[in-house]
Amino acid sequence: MSTADVVVIGAGLAGLTAAIRVAESGARVHVLAKGHAATHWGPGGIDVAGIPAASTPRDGIRRLAGEPGHPYAFLGDDVAAALEWIRPHLAAGGVEYLGDLDTPLGLVPTSIGGTRRAAILPAGQAAALAPWAVGERLIICGIRGFKDFWPEAIAASLARERIWEGGNRPTSVTAVSVVLPGLAPRHNLNALTIAGRFDDPAWRATAIEAIARAVGSVPGSGGRVALPAVLGIREHAAILAALQKRLPAAPFEMPLVPPSVPGIRLYTALRAAVIRAGGRVQIGEMIERVEHDGRRVTAVVSAAAVRTYTVRTGALVLATGGIAGGGLVAERDGRLLEPLLGLTVEAPPADDWLLVDAFDPAGHPLELAGIRTDAELRPVAADGASLFDNVRVAGSLLAGQRYVRDRCGDGVALTSGWRAARSLTAVPAGHAAEPGSERP
Amino acid sequence: MGDSHAYDVLVVGGGATGAGVLRDLARRGLRTLLIERDDFGTGTTGRYHGLLHSGGRYVAKDALAARECIAENRILRRIAPASIEDTGGYFVATPDDPDDYVDGFQAACAAADVDCEEIPVADAFRAEPALNPRIRRVFRLPDGSVEPWQLIESNVADARAHGSDAWTYQRLVGMERDGGRIVSATLRDERSGSVTRITPRFVVSCAGAWSGQIAAMVDVTVTMHPGKGTMLIFNQRMTDTVVNRCHKSSDGDIMVPVHTVAILGTTEQRVEDPDRYEITRDEVAALIREGEKLFPDLGRMRLLRAYAGVRPLYQPPAEVTAAAMKDGRQISRAHTVIDHDAMDGVENFVTIVGGKLTTFRRMAEDTVDLVCAKLGVTEPCTTADAILPNQVPGKTYWLGHRLAEHEAEGGGDADLLCECEFVTRPMLDDFLDRHPGCSIDDVRRGTRIGMGPCQGGFCTFRAAGLVGERARRVGAADVAESADRAILGFLRERFKGTRPIAAGRQLQEQWMISGVYEGGLGVRSLIEHETPEASREVVDVHR
Amino acid sequence: MTIAELIFDAQEEAVGYSSDECLKCNVCVTVCPVARVTDLFPGPKYVGPQAQRFRTGRAQPVQVPGTPFALSPDLTVDYCSGCGWCTTACPAGVKIAEMNSQSRARMKAGKRPKLRDWGLGQTDLVGQMGVLVSPITNRVLFNGPIRTIMEWTVGIHRDAPFPRFGKRTFQSTWKRRQKRLGSRPLPGPDKAVVYFHGCSANYYEQHVAAAAIAILKRNGFETIIPEQVCCGLPMISNALYGDARKKARKNIDALVGYARQGYRIIGTSTSCTHTIKAEYHEMLDVKDDDATVVANATWDICEFLLDLHEQGKLDTRFGRLDEDLPYHAPCQLRSHGIGLPAMELFALVPGLRAADMDHDCCGIAGTYGMKKEKYPIGMAVGAPLFDKIRASGAAEAACDSETCRWQIEKATGTRTRHPIEILLQAYRVADAAGGATPGPLSGAGTRAP
Repeated sequence: MSTADVVVIGAGLAGLTAAIRVAESGARVHVLAKGHAATHWGPGGIDVAGIPAASTPRDGIRRLAGEPGHPYAFLGDDVAAALEWIRPHLAAGGVEYLGDLDTPLGLVPTSIGGTRRAAILPAGQAAALAPWAVGERLIICGIRGFKDFWPEAIAASLARERIWEGGNRPTSVTAVSVVLPGLAPRHNLNALTIAGRFDDPAWRATAIEAIARAVGSVPGSGGRVALPAVLGIREHAAILAALQKRLPAAPFEMPLVPPSVPGIRLYTALRAAVIRAGGRVQIGEMIERVEHDGRRVTAVVSAAAVRTYTVRTGALVLATGGIAGGGLVAERDGRLLEPLLGLTVEAPPADDWLLVDAFDPAGHPLELAGIRTDAELRPVAADGASLFDNVRVAGSLLAGQRYVRDRCGDGVALTSGWRAARSLTAVPAGHAAEPGSERP
Repeated sequence: MGDSHAYDVLVVGGGATGAGVLRDLARRGLRTLLIERDDFGTGTTGRYHGLLHSGGRYVAKDALAARECIAENRILRRIAPASIEDTGGYFVATPDDPDDYVDGFQAACAAADVDCEEIPVADAFRAEPALNPRIRRVFRLPDGSVEPWQLIESNVADARAHGSDAWTYQRLVGMERDGGRIVSATLRDERSGSVTRITPRFVVSCAGAWSGQIAAMVDVTVTMHPGKGTMLIFNQRMTDTVVNRCHKSSDGDIMVPVHTVAILGTTEQRVEDPDRYEITRDEVAALIREGEKLFPDLGRMRLLRAYAGVRPLYQPPAEVTAAAMKDGRQISRAHTVIDHDAMDGVENFVTIVGGKLTTFRRMAEDTVDLVCAKLGVTEPCTTADAILPNQVPGKTYWLGHRLAEHEAEGGGDADLLCECEFVTRPMLDDFLDRHPGCSIDDVRRGTRIGMGPCQGGFCTFRAAGLVGERARRVGAADVAESADRAILGFLRERFKGTRPIAAGRQLQEQWMISGVYEGGLGVRSLIEHETPEASREVVDVHR
Repeated sequence: MTIAELIFDAQEEAVGYSSDECLKCNVCVTVCPVARVTDLFPGPKYVGPQAQRFRTGRAQPVQVPGTPFALSPDLTVDYCSGCGWCTTACPAGVKIAEMNSQSRARMKAGKRPKLRDWGLGQTDLVGQMGVLVSPITNRVLFNGPIRTIMEWTVGIHRDAPFPRFGKRTFQSTWKRRQKRLGSRPLPGPDKAVVYFHGCSANYYEQHVAAAAIAILKRNGFETIIPEQVCCGLPMISNALYGDARKKARKNIDALVGYARQGYRIIGTSTSCTHTIKAEYHEMLDVKDDDATVVANATWDICEFLLDLHEQGKLDTRFGRLDEDLPYHAPCQLRSHGIGLPAMELFALVPGLRAADMDHDCCGIAGTYGMKKEKYPIGMAVGAPLFDKIRASGAAEAACDSETCRWQIEKATGTRTRHPIEILLQAYRVADAAGGATPGPLSGAGTRAP
């Protein structure tokens, strides 16, 4: 048994953002989550609106806000504020983010030899974004024996004009491989193991020299070096600085398949911010039920050995994720459920969930599924009536967004988490468990 | 393609039957060429549930077929042990199965020479705890499961050792007929587009459900009735034993453990075009409902994908049966060798249709007997006696072997490129060495890469990366294009298999993988918009 | 039944089938303390849901060279410490650690256990003998050359933490005391609780038992201590399931009568209490009615005290402890799913600056870190924790689990105590200042702090 002013379910970008802001207001916040998910899977950037038509994130927000039912319709105006608010929190956790809503969306190369649109990136990836000068080279530097990064294949792919949509691109793309100390005979290295090695100052000094030698072996000068995203966790900033200093070309990280090191850095920084602000983060909590008294949630009950663990709460932020995160569960019979509160899920009929081609540009109708809310993020029924007074929904659980395809998931998560916290902490004092006033 | 295209026989179709016919012809001294429009085993052979029949499923309705199955079952265990898992089979009487069938089952097995032993139900429940506790009787029969691709490879290897050959990605685009003879055949390389003309003395069509299309090239009519069979792949083996319902065979009444998964079969539905069909959610639901009679918890077990195969069903006209019986030997109704000399006046053309994978060798023997008779060859068939290449007598497949081998090396002496199916970098390198120019999809059939729960999410780009690295080494030009095809093609095919079963964890998995690829990896940028990939309505095979 | 319901239900499902839930997402790999420091362990995803797909009831038809000719092809799973972080962090509810424990048992089932694994499992036997000749054993266990010989012969690392044996068992002390006091009527379940002391308080740390009794008395509870044996966890960790089941049975039989009358069973070892709560059922398949009743009645002592506090029944008149107190939450505590009750209790003590060290695992993981080949792994796993504790400069630290305390003490030189010892100290400070509250039991066998 425990007591909180606000319980946040879900420890992704939306949930942790909400928790930081609630905790900062002086309220007691507990984050309960089953495990880690989207943060550990994603590339660790803050994608706000990476749609092809948009020139900048701000332009993208405007376009998406115009689409029927998109959460940016009511969140769009707050994205800038939320972003500027989170930036120092992340920086305090050792991850600096560069770019803002007016940074032009550019193409950054990826670890399967493709490109993706981005504007707001962690410092470790940001060097990929600048326009390529005439004659500028790109060196893809792999690590011998690391099975999640194949420099030859990446280079071969990125050498093609069409991958860059026919636009600005490096003049040459070259692959090199570096043997890092002690890693060459190793097998089944994962990004995290290598990142752990980089955190060790002695090891990293040798490693950086080896990388410098490999990069130096490529004829020419200047340009940029793409490395797999394994450049440390705790000491990332120092590693990046050392590389920038030592290499003849500007280094940047390419995110990989999970486990995502940049994603873990983001998670670690967010979690640290919650704890610094006085909140709690408990992972491994299998929520059994959410208790409510009419329109007010009163407690969150999770499974424990033989008994349950109850957190009494004055309010709830539901940030359990979409289909990937497990916040929505698809039944065999074609129903889509929100299992914790049984909220109304807005979804197409099952026969229309998925189109035939995985990459159909129209987008699968199921991508839009989620929970519909009012502008205060309170969940609503099919008829638009609000269901709970002290519940806020945040993140990819929100209906109406194609969070992967339109690259808007991070922007929606950040802004809805931020807004959910504001909405809850701004409720006038009166109810014992609800915190008093909003802090600027 | 070599200097001389002077082949005695051209075999069309690289499924199990074609490979068996190739091997038999080669062993009887006929220089033979097998052609396949895709990779080996991409048609019906690769799209079935993987059962090595004991014959038990046929004892009641077709004793001859049953007799043929058990005979071939015994032969295959001897000549191709590595391709077979000796799972054994149960025929179980659920409350839904009629008493008279169950009561007569043992006698019917005995009549067809099929080994059958009734065992205490308690023994069956101990061995397979997931079985329906309401099962009242259990018979044990020598069912097993077969790895079809390895079986084909072995047959082809044996044929090559006997001076014959097999070409993949060669489509038969036409045959020239001069009166009562086929005088030449034209092939097109599906990848380079180059065209080859060959002049065989004889043509054997082993094109299964596609036989009508081949025969039509020389104005011969073979009317096939392609029957679609849908199967579901479960993520884990809820049984180590093949389990059949003890009743007249029907939909959703068999579960076959194959490698790391278990496959629930099957349905029967006529389709017009063997290349175009769809699997619906309703079909999936109906299969699961039936399957729950065998394993009540089936509805809660994770499905990986649904797929379908097209049975080469053929109802022989009366005159065909008569013609086939001319030599005094009765041919089972299970398969039919069509002599187009007798039927259609094309003297050097034979089509083999019907049948099942278990009896592929026997089908080949019957076919080759006829071809040899026509070509005046008197060599006897030796395919039942000679063990296939790369097989060790008695060493049947064991599920634990990949884990065991990896563990014996301390769990880390090789990079696992496919973590679900334990496919290592050396395994992949070895396969690529032996199959130059193959596609990632061929690698999948050869190694099972990408066949586990993540359906290629974590391994396809690794395989593409390795292919890229190797290609760079030899200076190949289209490294990037082939990597694109690999990654996009694989993700598309896996997606198609998920579509009819989209629910629960497998949909979540699909969503996570698309998130990774469409997000941080930017997979869409690989799509070449000028030439959108043809999206056939066919789900890919998967076991 | 819906898939959504099933996902909750999966908690009750067979451990092996929980690999159906696996998304292959590698989150487990990111939190594994062992994989972080050694290559000998290929990680929880590999030995768990991946390897699970290749495990079969069928024997090898022809032996794969280098593997035991048995059902199980597993070898590397032995390097799993069983800390359970993988299960905790998994977003899909796969019971990875439990799966590994079962595979380890299966791997060892066909083989005679190593003498060492058997010895580390037999805490009762070792404890009884150790206490019997404690001056000798203590000398032996703290003697360098002899520890070297132990490492060679039975494979317990020479530097592994080992507790000092008490002069006699806590049980015998308690019995003598009860004899001295004579028979008294048993108070009702609202006035008394059953105490499950476990092996460590019985053989090594009688001061913890004494503190428990004192704290309970302070809050109005008499202590009932029935005959009991080792909970069985050391046997489970060393894959001796048969022996563990026997222990489980004995304990259930000893405790069920009290549990049925409504007495709560309080333990001071988070490992023992979790074993009774969950592992009898999950790992040993002991799931009859008696087992359930006993499990449901079992509480960790801090969980119990916090529950009293929630009901307003905890004596919160703690004296001031003006100190920094680094706190390590043991892995087993996390498996209880009760949050960090010790931290909540520390918050009630004026002046006490308790700080959660926020580190996953100290490396000992029961008996894992004592083994010769795993000792360096354990020390590497715990290194950041040790650094933090040393850096804190605190005079003492706190932790709920005995083996973790020994490990931390050994590695850092910082005295490490059970949270209730800290709380008891706070009560004593209050008593010394204010006077008249009844003093705690001055138990024989209490080690001078």
